[in-house]
Amino acid sequence: MSVQLWALAAAGTVVLAAAGLEAFRSTRARRIAVGATSAPAADPYILYFTGENCTVCRTHQEPALAKLGQVRVDKVDAIAERELANRFQVYTLPTTVVMSAEGRALHVNYGYAPAKKLDRQLAEARSSSTLERTATA
Amino acid sequence: MALTTVDHSALKVNQAGIVTTVLVAFAGSYFFRPLLFLIPLLAVVLLLGTFAPQLALFKQLYFQVLKPRGIVKPRPVQDRPEPHNFAQGLGGVFLAVSSVLLILGFSISTVFTAAGLALALLVAVLAFVNLAFGYCLGCQIYYQLGKRGLIRA
Repeated sequence: MSVQLWALAAAGTVVLAAAGLEAFRSTRARRIAVGATSAPAADPYILYFTGENCTVCRTHQEPALAKLGQVRVDKVDAIAERELANRFQVYTLPTTVVMSAEGRALHVNYGYAPAKKLDRQLAEARSSSTLERTATA
Repeated sequence: MALTTVDHSALKVNQAGIVTTVLVAFAGSYFFRPLLFLIPLLAVVLLLGTFAPQLALFKQLYFQVLKPRGIVKPRPVQDRPEPHNFAQGLGGVFLAVSSVLLILGFSISTVFTAAGLALALLVAVLAFVNLAFGYCLGCQIYYQLGKRGLIRA
């Protein structure tokens, strides 16, 4: 086998291993973060972790959040608010957390989350909040 | 730290330049081995461009040729240049290590050549991921270092 093919095989293995590790890491972080709590609110809302260095936040995530319409988005500087970022296992920016009205994390998205996905997660959060309120009443 | 305007087209041209150069070196070296020399050359270009932006070859190609002739449209974004420079420097360092391995490959064993080429390919893959999907691993590392207080992010 030529040197080029060996190099291709080695690089491919590293890429696959890195993708696998990333998938493991995000699943593990999500499992820990889901259920973490923050302030309750009248309706489900989004915690949006960002930072000055985050380009994707400005070019992709913020336009996607703007498309959501009437949803409360709490913008959090992940560097300044380290304790809050650690509570939600924020290891990459942007990170968006869909919170229930009771202030419990329902969905955690590490990396860019498109508007459609956030919309779907918010709809789930609204229905779960309604169910919880009905159960409490 | 205040945001400035960063032309993202310049970054994209830089990433495209990295991917093209590595691919030419990789595929070309199968037929003409001296083309591997492009790897250390690219390492020098990236490292020089990190510390002296006026020496960043691909960005200068964009600012002096592609942008004035309207071949590539500018895309100014409110951003900070530091994470991008850090990512470019990191790419340069990896290519410098790759160059050392390639040199060792010429004199010791082809295993080093394969390792050097693999490392250069990884740099190209990351540049491509940034070019195509906007995911910048170097910028994420910059964020992690800032979070741990190792650099002023």
